[in-house]
Amino acid sequence: MIRPTAKQRRHFEEEGYLIVENAFVGDELKRLQTAFDRCAAACKPAWLEGVVRGTSPAAFFDIPDPFGRDDIFIDLVDHESYYGLLVDFTDDDLIILAPQVRTVPPSPISYVGWHPDVPHTNPLHIKVQIYVDDVAPDQGPFAFVPGSHKAEAGPYPRVTRMESMPGHKVFPGKAGTAILFNSYGWHTSMINSADKPRKSIILIYEKWTEERVNANQYAAIADRLQTPARRRLFSLEH
Amino acid sequence: MLRLDAHLHVFAKVSAEFPRHSDQTMPADSEAPVEVLLQEMEEHGVGQAVLVQIGGAELDQHAYLRHCLKAHPERFRGIGLIPTDCSDPAAHMDRLAADGDLIGFRLFDLGGPFDPLAPLDIRTTATYPIWQRAAEKDYVLWLYPRAGDSHIIAFLIDAFPQVRVVFNHLMVFPGQDSITFDELGRPQIDTPMPPMTRYSSQRLHQYENVRIHLSGQYAFSKEQYPYRDTAAWHTTLLQSFGADRLMWASDFPWILKEPGYGRLVGILDELLPDLDERDRVSIMGGAAARFLRFPLLSEKSS
Repeated sequence: MIRPTAKQRRHFEEEGYLIVENAFVGDELKRLQTAFDRCAAACKPAWLEGVVRGTSPAAFFDIPDPFGRDDIFIDLVDHESYYGLLVDFTDDDLIILAPQVRTVPPSPISYVGWHPDVPHTNPLHIKVQIYVDDVAPDQGPFAFVPGSHKAEAGPYPRVTRMESMPGHKVFPGKAGTAILFNSYGWHTSMINSADKPRKSIILIYEKWTEERVNANQYAAIADRLQTPARRRLFSLEH
Repeated sequence: MLRLDAHLHVFAKVSAEFPRHSDQTMPADSEAPVEVLLQEMEEHGVGQAVLVQIGGAELDQHAYLRHCLKAHPERFRGIGLIPTDCSDPAAHMDRLAADGDLIGFRLFDLGGPFDPLAPLDIRTTATYPIWQRAAEKDYVLWLYPRAGDSHIIAFLIDAFPQVRVVFNHLMVFPGQDSITFDELGRPQIDTPMPPMTRYSSQRLHQYENVRIHLSGQYAFSKEQYPYRDTAAWHTTLLQSFGADRLMWASDFPWILKEPGYGRLVGILDELLPDLDERDRVSIMGGAAARFLRFPLLSEKSS
C-alpha cells in the first residue's frame, strides 16, 4: 500500500486537499468510462421520470446503487492510487460512507453553493472526486478554498457569484484525475457553462466511529467484500 | 407598516358579465368576491394586493379581474394568464396590459419536460416568445413551473436578465401527478420539503431580477398551521435571497376558512421568528411594493 510522502501529508494538512493525477489510466480508465456510460444509460429513464415527478433533481444525475451495478465501482473504494493516503490520513481507521456516480448537465448556475460538508465536531470526513472524462475549466470543475478545513479558518462570506469566494482554487483536470479533500473545507462545483455534461465519481469516506457504522448498508454486496480490510472498509466488521 | 399581499385570487360566480371556467374545484356558483377580500385586508392591516387571474386564460375570462383592478386602482395590480395554445401571445399580453394595471403574466408550463442532458436551444422553447415580449414591454413573469421544467428556468432567466421574475409559493415546482385537492377544495402538493427542485432554483439568487413568494405553505405542508415542516425552507430562502427579495402572500381565498386570513398575516412570526423589524417590513410588503412598482396609497385608501 502506498503511503503519503512527507510532502503529500504536509500539503493535505496545510491546504486540505491533494491531487492524484493519472490515478486511472489506459484500459482501467476506459473500463471505468464504459461502466459509467453503460450504467448511466440504463438508469437515465428512471431519473428523467423522477425529474418530472419532482423526486429527482434535474441539476445532477446520480446512478443509484453503483456498487450493486458493477464491481468496478467497488474497486474504486480501495484503489491503490489513493487508498493508502486515505488510510494514513485516518490513522488506519477508514470507512466508506457512500459513492456518488454523478453527471452534471450544463447550466448557467451551479447546483450547489460554497459549503463545508460537516462541522469540526464530526469525525474526519474525506471525499475523493474522480474525473471520469476530461473536465475543462468551464465544465463545472471542483473548487476548494485551500486552508478552509482548519478549525481557525474563516468566517467565509456568502457570495452571490461562485468566483467571488476569496482565496478559492478551481481544479479542472484530465480524465482519471482523483482529488482528495477534507470535507471540513469550503468547496463547490463551479458552473458548467460548457456544452457537455461533467462526469465524475465522488467517494465519501470517514474516520471510523461506532456511531457511523451500519453493518447492513453494504450487506447486499457482502459476497464481493472478501478480504478483512474490505469488510472493515465497508463496515461489515471492525 | 405597509402590508402588501403579493399573491391571491378573486373570482365571481359565472355570469354573462363575468364568464370563467368552472370545474369541481371552482363550481359555477362559487365565488371569492373582492368585497370579502377587502374586508379581510382592512381587518388585518393589509393595504394593497396582487390579484392573480384564475378561472381561465382567455381574454373574456379576465373580466372580473379587470373589473376589480379598475374599481381599486390604488390597491391592486393584476397578473393575467396566457392560453397554452395562443397563436399570438404578444398580442394577448398587450391587450390585457393595455390599461397599465395588469402588470404581468403567470406561467405554469414552460414547454417541457426537458432532458437536462440533451442539447438545448433556448430559442426553440414554447414560452420563449412570452419571455421576449415581457422583456420588450417590461411585463413581470409570475412563475409556478412544473418540476419537469426545472432545468430550463435558469437558461430563460439568464437569457432575459431584464425581465422581473416572481416565483410563486416558496419556489416549489410541483411534480407530475403531485396535485390533489383537499376537502376544502384547496390544492395539496405532494412534494419533499425542502423540494428536490432546489438544486435548480436556489442558486438563482445570483440573478437580481428574481423574487420569491413566501406563500402556499398549506399546500406543501404535512402539518396543520403554522406548517412548521416548511420553516427550514423559509430560512434557506431568506439566507439565499435576503429579505428584500421575498414577498409574503396569502393565496386567498384558499386559506379563508382554514387557517384564516389573519393567521396567514402572522405566519412569519411562526416560521421566521428571528426576523428583525426591517426585514419583516420588507417581506410583508416593502419588497413587493418596490419590485412591482405599486403606487403610494393615498390617505383615503389607506
